[in-house]
Amino acid sequence: MGELKRTQLYDVHVNSGATMVDFGGWEMPVQYPTGIVAEHLYTRHACSLFDVSHMGRLLIEGPDRVAFLQHVLTSNVDALDLNMAQYCIIPDEDGSAVDDAYLYCFNEDNLLLVVNASNTDKDLVHLNKYLKDYNCTITNITADYASIAVQGPKSKDMLTQLAGGVALTEPVKNALNTLTMEGREVLIAKTGYTGEPLGYEVFIKSCDAQWMWNRLIELGAKPAGLGARDTLRLEAGMPLYGHEMGVDPDGNNMPIFAVPLARFAVSFAPQKGNYVGREHLAVQYEAFKRINNRDFSDLAALPRRIMPITLLDKGVMRGGMTIYKGDKQVGWTTSGTMVPYYVAEGEGLQSVILDETAKRSIGLCYIDSDTLKDDIVEVDVRGKRLKAVIPQMHMSVMAPPFARPLLYRPTEEQKAVVVDDNTPKAITLLTKALENHRWRQQRCVNLIPSENTPSRAVQMLCASDPAFRYAEHKKVKAFYDSDIFYYQGTKFIDEVEQKLVEQMRRYLGCREVETRVISGQMSNAATFSALVDWKNRLDRKHDAKRLGYVLNNHIIKGGHLSAQPMGALKDYIAVDPVTERHAVVNFPVCADNIYKIDVEETKKVIEKYRPELIIFGKSMVLHKEPVAAIRKFVDEQNIPTTIMYDMAHVLGLIGDSFQKPFEEGAEIVTGSTHKTFFGSQRGVIGVNYKKDELKYGLWETIESRAFPGSVSNHHLGSQLGLLMAAYEMNQFKAEYQKAIVDSAKHFAKCLKAEGLNVAGDPVIDYTETHQVIVSVGYGVGPEVAERLEQNNIIVNYQATPDEEGFTASGALRMGVSEMVRFGFTFDDFAKLASLMADCILRNKDISEDVAKLRSEHLEMQYCFKGEEFDAALEGLVAELGV
Amino acid sequence: MNYPAELKYSKSHEWVKMEGDVAVIGITDFAQDALGDVVFVNLPSVGDSVTAGAAFGDVESVKAVSDLVSPVSGEIVEVNEALADAPEVFNSDPYGSWIIKVSGITDTEELLDAAAYEAFCAEEA
Repeated sequence: MGELKRTQLYDVHVNSGATMVDFGGWEMPVQYPTGIVAEHLYTRHACSLFDVSHMGRLLIEGPDRVAFLQHVLTSNVDALDLNMAQYCIIPDEDGSAVDDAYLYCFNEDNLLLVVNASNTDKDLVHLNKYLKDYNCTITNITADYASIAVQGPKSKDMLTQLAGGVALTEPVKNALNTLTMEGREVLIAKTGYTGEPLGYEVFIKSCDAQWMWNRLIELGAKPAGLGARDTLRLEAGMPLYGHEMGVDPDGNNMPIFAVPLARFAVSFAPQKGNYVGREHLAVQYEAFKRINNRDFSDLAALPRRIMPITLLDKGVMRGGMTIYKGDKQVGWTTSGTMVPYYVAEGEGLQSVILDETAKRSIGLCYIDSDTLKDDIVEVDVRGKRLKAVIPQMHMSVMAPPFARPLLYRPTEEQKAVVVDDNTPKAITLLTKALENHRWRQQRCVNLIPSENTPSRAVQMLCASDPAFRYAEHKKVKAFYDSDIFYYQGTKFIDEVEQKLVEQMRRYLGCREVETRVISGQMSNAATFSALVDWKNRLDRKHDAKRLGYVLNNHIIKGGHLSAQPMGALKDYIAVDPVTERHAVVNFPVCADNIYKIDVEETKKVIEKYRPELIIFGKSMVLHKEPVAAIRKFVDEQNIPTTIMYDMAHVLGLIGDSFQKPFEEGAEIVTGSTHKTFFGSQRGVIGVNYKKDELKYGLWETIESRAFPGSVSNHHLGSQLGLLMAAYEMNQFKAEYQKAIVDSAKHFAKCLKAEGLNVAGDPVIDYTETHQVIVSVGYGVGPEVAERLEQNNIIVNYQATPDEEGFTASGALRMGVSEMVRFGFTFDDFAKLASLMADCILRNKDISEDVAKLRSEHLEMQYCFKGEEFDAALEGLVAELGV
Repeated sequence: MNYPAELKYSKSHEWVKMEGDVAVIGITDFAQDALGDVVFVNLPSVGDSVTAGAAFGDVESVKAVSDLVSPVSGEIVEVNEALADAPEVFNSDPYGSWIIKVSGITDTEELLDAAAYEAFCAEEA
């Protein structure tokens, strides 16, 4: 093997006892003494190191680099932001793949293209053919840098240690950063080829390669070779050039759209122009769409596609085996082997990954495009026809920090409903409801910040007669904008609604209020719908233009789901044609406090994107939102926009203790009425437009998008209850709001003093709202939250701004509102903090202590009392038969 | 690498141990090391006849598949069925993991002794 190339880590591999093989002209470790199975499993439960220094690293520099890459890659290079990477394919003129690659933007001066080792020379020849028309250069820097893939659930922790505790990258796939680790420069990417939800690839100068490798081994990582790299990527369903891309066993080029990833890697953005292979790719894409709509009439452009395959009979598939349906050959396996996995026990979030391991025989195949999931096929395994099936996928990466194997389960037939006597079920339902009510109301400390218990008066009103009625009404111009009701019997609820609007105007401090929306999410949806309608009011002859850009809080940074494209914004947000992504930008957050908006950086974002809608508000909220500062800025800069504050969580805090949104410059406030507010579960929209203003038309549009746009029946009982809640709030808000913020600060300080890791800024006692965030350790949030529930404390687990998602949650989100309302004092919160520390840190059973603490606070505060009020309430209660 | 002196070896890396007129057959330490993690074995059935130099089954590792070649001709009288559920013992204990026992032997390949086999392996590596 004397002529083979060696990486910077060759000596390390040989000294570790690796078996070295020729891989694409490089002498590489295929496995270490523990073997492929052990290396595969160690990656899945801990962390493995892969030497990927053999991969081709090509630096693209010069003013035309983006234009050049737009022409020679399938991806939309304009959509690649600084410190982000994208998967791409190098297309050939005929729409097949020359190679697949990853493009990295580590800085504003150049782009780094990483290609397969064995294709590097071929890729360079291919790329150079197109280079002459562009003012840019390609430099092969493969030898200057080493590259190590650090993959597995412990990778983040190990690399963070090397980085001295600083955040590695944004917690999203493909995020990049440039860091200094122990005095050495490290380019780090949240990418990988193992399917691990937590995995990084680092680029370091050649002279630092051994240092990095050895330091990570010291921290507990183990080396893994090309063998494990192949079984891991196969389990993850990732294509390997030469197997799932390139030439099929008949010698034909495989179309790029045969690979499922093509859907994301191929762009037809106008600015890409007529790039290499575009016409063929467009034809493939049309076929792809037809096939996905199960129209198999014309498969010419995409006769076969890459799909996962699972062997049902005993045996092992390898690449290149023939697949049959009956006597007809329908394709080939492209990769296959026996892959190990950890056995899991239990269902859902509570499922436990055991130490026990097993193996399964899986592969990928290139199979007729009319093949569907669950189709049974036969694979010719060296002369024997073995039964196999097409599963949905082999593994899911959607539950970090662990990759979860998905074993094939046939789709179950739904059982026929058995008709029997429901009386016992009805009785059980009543008994269980009573049990639950008693537990939640007498023994449980509820710290869910989105919840509150309404007063007895509110609850009774919610259950009283209008609960079952309709009261559709609409302002009609012909009657000077009088509200016209369509049904009789609505005079009482009409009066209630008018009074509720009046109370909410007073409370919010604005001119107009809509109270018919029945949730915070609906408040936002109706508002977004109205904004789109208002935007398009002068042109009804074309499809309505959607909103863009919109500035909001990123969901990972605490942004409210209802203000995200994945929530209520979905149908109303435009796609930016240049980036082909939703036209949303996010508030930048302070470097030293990720819970707080960075006002100065926000101004830059506003200048750049000139958003037509700015949405303040969060669901993980510790700080006031800088409404006044941003209002001042957009007014000074004359930027036409609409400032909205989604106050879902903090609606009950409007006032001196928190914020006064309209005084600070918000135009629209939306919210839900049952989190910090006292109400039944509904929504509300308030605006401050004057009747003679142009934007008063937007308000009228909001009203019509509430009814008839969003609701017909709008749950009249709860509207009646909400009026009582609004009376309570306007009467008691000063004391209640002060108690909330003071208690939250006190609770946070007590938790901190008990040794818990309280998030936020200690200078302001961690919080300016009802919420307190406690970090309990990466990925253990769900387990700790469940333990607290078993001890009668209800919280919700929460991913912090540097975590990957809910399964990786390392924090608890808590709110004090409900317990303040039940009269918890500073002493009670101190006691609670001490009990929680016992449970979280020392795993002590505190269930009876918590129940006792709760049982001492059963009487609701901040609500009406007194003989006359009680008499009136009990009259209603008696009539309801409670 | 281990080459027990009491065994005979074929050039296709099987070992043979004679127990009276019954040949006990398995794969060698060198074979398992070259294969890597063994994950599957295709076993024949009792009563099947085997031919010296011909495959009687196969053994699969994560990386590759390899035929099991019989060094003798005869009839299988016993099969080590336990291997089907625990093929990893090929890696941990190759000489304890016999695969088949063959009797009525009519023909035998040319077999090597431990020293000759070790030399043969050194050449192959």
